[in-house]
Amino acid sequence: MAAKELPVVPSARPGTMAAGAAMEKIREQRPVIDQGKCDLCRLCLFYCPDAALTLNQGQVTVNLHFCKGCGICAVECPVRAITMVPEYPSDRGFLEK
Amino acid sequence: MPQLLNGNEAAAHAARLARVEVLASYPITPAAPVMEKITQFITEGSLKANFVRVESDHSALAAALGASMAGARSFLITNSQGLAYMSEVLYHVSGLRQPVVMAVVNRALAAPHSRFPEHGDAIAQETAGWIQFFCENNQEVLDSLLQAFRLGEDERVRLPVMVNYEGYIQSHTREVVDLPDQKVVDSFLPLVRRPVLDVENPLAVNTVASPAVYMDYKFHQDEALKRAGEVAREINAIYAGLTGRDWGGPVSGYRLEGAEIVLVTMGSLVSTARVAVDALRSAGEKAGLLKVRLFRPFPLTEIRATLKTVKAVVALDKNIVFSSGGALAREIRAGLYGHAAVPVYSYILGLGGRDVDVEDLMAIYRQVRDQRQAGAVPAPYQWYGL
Repeated sequence: MAAKELPVVPSARPGTMAAGAAMEKIREQRPVIDQGKCDLCRLCLFYCPDAALTLNQGQVTVNLHFCKGCGICAVECPVRAITMVPEYPSDRGFLEK
Repeated sequence: MPQLLNGNEAAAHAARLARVEVLASYPITPAAPVMEKITQFITEGSLKANFVRVESDHSALAAALGASMAGARSFLITNSQGLAYMSEVLYHVSGLRQPVVMAVVNRALAAPHSRFPEHGDAIAQETAGWIQFFCENNQEVLDSLLQAFRLGEDERVRLPVMVNYEGYIQSHTREVVDLPDQKVVDSFLPLVRRPVLDVENPLAVNTVASPAVYMDYKFHQDEALKRAGEVAREINAIYAGLTGRDWGGPVSGYRLEGAEIVLVTMGSLVSTARVAVDALRSAGEKAGLLKVRLFRPFPLTEIRATLKTVKAVVALDKNIVFSSGGALAREIRAGLYGHAAVPVYSYILGLGGRDVDVEDLMAIYRQVRDQRQAGAVPAPYQWYGL
C-alpha cells in the first residue's frame, strides 16, 4: 500500500485537522451567543484557549476559524448567554447519550 | 584565503559566508565562542543578521524554528546539556521539515559533569530525524557547514542538519583553514526561501495528525532523510569543483587497497587513525581506514560495498549506548548482516576527553589481529583505556 500524499510541512487551515486531503473538521459543537443576555463582561474572551471570541462593535462574536468547540466559554459565562450547538446532525451519533 | 582558525572560528566564518539571517543561541561551553564571533561579525558589519537573545537552548531552537518557518536562513550552536535540553524541539524541526543548521561541539553528558569531548551528546539524538555530519578537522567544519545549508534546503531533502565537531580537540585548536571567496559561496549557496507563515493567510502549523495520517507523514520524512545521503554526495562534488576540496561521499576510505583489517571511526579520531594506518602499513600490516562522515542518514550501502570483502572490522566509538555498546559498531553490524559474515570488533574509547593517541589505535589493531588469529568470536563490545 502506498503512503498518502501529504503537504511537506504538516499544517492545516484554522479550525481543521492536519488530515491531508481529507481536511476533516474537529469541532463537534459551536458556541451561539444570545446577545440579549450577554452583559459584555468579557470573561469568555479571557477563558477561550484559542482567542476565538472577540469584542466587535459592542458585541461578543465567535471566529469559527479558530474555535475548536471545547465549550469552556459556555461553562464560564456568568449569565448563561452562550449555548453549545451540535455541528453534526444527530443521526451521525456524535453527541448521543 | 588561508587563515589560522580554531573549529569555533571556522564555524562562525561559515555562518558569515552563508549569510545567515537569524542566530538564536544560548551560551554553553565549548560552543559559545562561535556565537561570540558571529556577534562580532554583526557588530563590525560583515554580517547582517538578527541575534535573538534567548533564556535557554530549548527556546533557542524554538526561535530558530520560527525564523525558518518565516523563510529566514537560521543557524545556531550548542552541545551536550544544551542539545539534550533541545531534544523535544529537535523533533519538531525535523517533523516540520525546516532546514535549520546547527553546529554541535560534542561534549560528554552529565552526570558526572564534564567539559570534555566525546560523541555521546549527538548519538543520543540519532532518532531525532536530523542529518548528522561528523568532521575530522577545522577545514571540514567550515566546508561541511556550507554544504549543510545547501543540503538541508534542497527540495528533495528539506531537513535540519547538525554538523558535529569535538570540543577542545577541534573547537579550541587552531589549524590552517582556507576560507572560500564570498562570490564562490554565493554561487554555491543561493538562498532558498520557503516561508510557511503568512499573516495574510493564517495557517495552523503542527496541528494534531490523526492515526489516519501520522504514519504517512513519518514515512515521507524517513524517505527524505534516506535521500539526503545521495544528495550530500552530489553537493560535495559541486563544492569540490568550486573549491578543490573533496570530502568524499557519506563515507571515505584511506589505504583500503588490499586492506584486511579496517578501522572505522568518525570525528577527530579519523585523523589519528590515518597516522596509525600509515605506521601499521610501514610495519607490513594490511591495515585500512574507513571514515564515516555522515552518521545520519547512515550510509548502509557504502558500508556494505566497502567492508563486505575485508577480514575484520574495528569500530572505534567515542560514545556508549549503555548495555548495547558503540553506536557505530551497531550500525555497521546491522548493515553487514545478511550480506557478509565479517567479524566486527567494537571498542568504546575516549569518553569524557580521555585521550586516544596513535599508539592506542595501533595497540587495538594488534589486539584484534591476535584475537582473529586465535579464532576468538568478537565480544559484543569492549572498553579500551580504563
